[in-house]
Amino acid sequence: MSSDARQKLFFREAIIRALREEMDRNERIIVLGQDVAEFGGSYREFEGLFERFGRARVRNTPVAESAMIGLGVGAAAAGLRALVTITYMDFLMLGLDPLVNYAAKARYKTGGQIEVPLVVKTTAGAKGQGVAHSQCIEAWLMAVPGLKVVAPATPADAYGLLKSALRERGPVVYVDHKRLFPTAGEVPNEETLIPLGEAAIRRCGSDVTIATFSFMTRIAERSAERLAAEGISCEIVDLRSLAPLDMATVCGSAGRTGALLTLEEGQLSCGVGAEVIFRARESLANLRTARIGALPAPVSSNPILEAACIPDVERVTDAVRGLLASR
Amino acid sequence: MIYKLVVPGPIEDVEEVRVLEWHGASGRAFEAGDLIVELETYKAIVEVRAAQHGILRALLCAAGEWQKVGLPLAVMSDDGAEALPDSLAAVAELPVEFEVS
Repeated sequence: MSSDARQKLFFREAIIRALREEMDRNERIIVLGQDVAEFGGSYREFEGLFERFGRARVRNTPVAESAMIGLGVGAAAAGLRALVTITYMDFLMLGLDPLVNYAAKARYKTGGQIEVPLVVKTTAGAKGQGVAHSQCIEAWLMAVPGLKVVAPATPADAYGLLKSALRERGPVVYVDHKRLFPTAGEVPNEETLIPLGEAAIRRCGSDVTIATFSFMTRIAERSAERLAAEGISCEIVDLRSLAPLDMATVCGSAGRTGALLTLEEGQLSCGVGAEVIFRARESLANLRTARIGALPAPVSSNPILEAACIPDVERVTDAVRGLLASR
Repeated sequence: MIYKLVVPGPIEDVEEVRVLEWHGASGRAFEAGDLIVELETYKAIVEVRAAQHGILRALLCAAGEWQKVGLPLAVMSDDGAEALPDSLAAVAELPVEFEVS
């Protein structure tokens, strides 16, 4: 019988724990990135790993994202298991060629002879740092055959999803968020993996399903609290995996509530919500739907413009009321 | 006079902290400038120092436990013999200086 004992950790500590356990378990795991060794990571999320595993396994790289990911692809193809960390998701764009054309396609191109067990860990989200340091481009990656994409919203999921990602046969992009690092949460004491492709119900409700992920999950929770005071019951589905998407959980919820709102921090065009809602409509008749995402503009470093662009509790609650009024 | 030692703030982005280490046990007297407790935020250590005399009377959060900004960590008093109240609602906050490193 497994214990229910849990320990409260900061988000970054959950990441360290997952990496330490997996690197203890598998000596082929290496970490590559800017400031990962002595410095311990830009968010202190690799602290202690260099001291424990040494320079051969925790390696600083220069600021060269295409080369960093290329190096990770090659290392993984040659038999190591690489985690490449890209501090800002915006700069993942520089590494899309090795990620898409080599990591994601390797098994297809070689008829299964080459596999690329690569995790690209990257941090998304707006937090005052302006147009080139604020983007959420998960939706761009969801369409790549051979690539998996996950996004934890809690320390427990950061821990469990990273462990699972580090055991996958193929490439995974693991997306955390700047605004999640200040958060803390309970993590099981016992070693726990969270399977890829499984969403989680964060809050049970009956009037509307809010499908969301990453930091926006917290906006959804605050919105649900405010709406509960008005007598509106929200069910929150934290997608956790964007590719593969857990449409069974989303449709199970939306089938009961009859109303589906998707909430993402990224752009709406060809976004996560567009995909989720289209797929939901393929299974469910009579579904009222709406999407919330960033306004169609780059995210400014000006705090007023940033706040206007990014979804907030007011926009979510307005959207829910509007969606339910259209009943 | 009775005081409550609360988690100081505001500290940017910080809603809650974990107690790292108490620098004294119940009964210890602190003077202005003395380090009372170290707290951990998500990215830094906060040193909380007394801004005036106070005797530590009761720890409310042990090392390793969590507390939110503005909420009490310990009960202190000017005099070691003062009776402690049942509720901290009306108790003043002990003036402190804090440094984030």
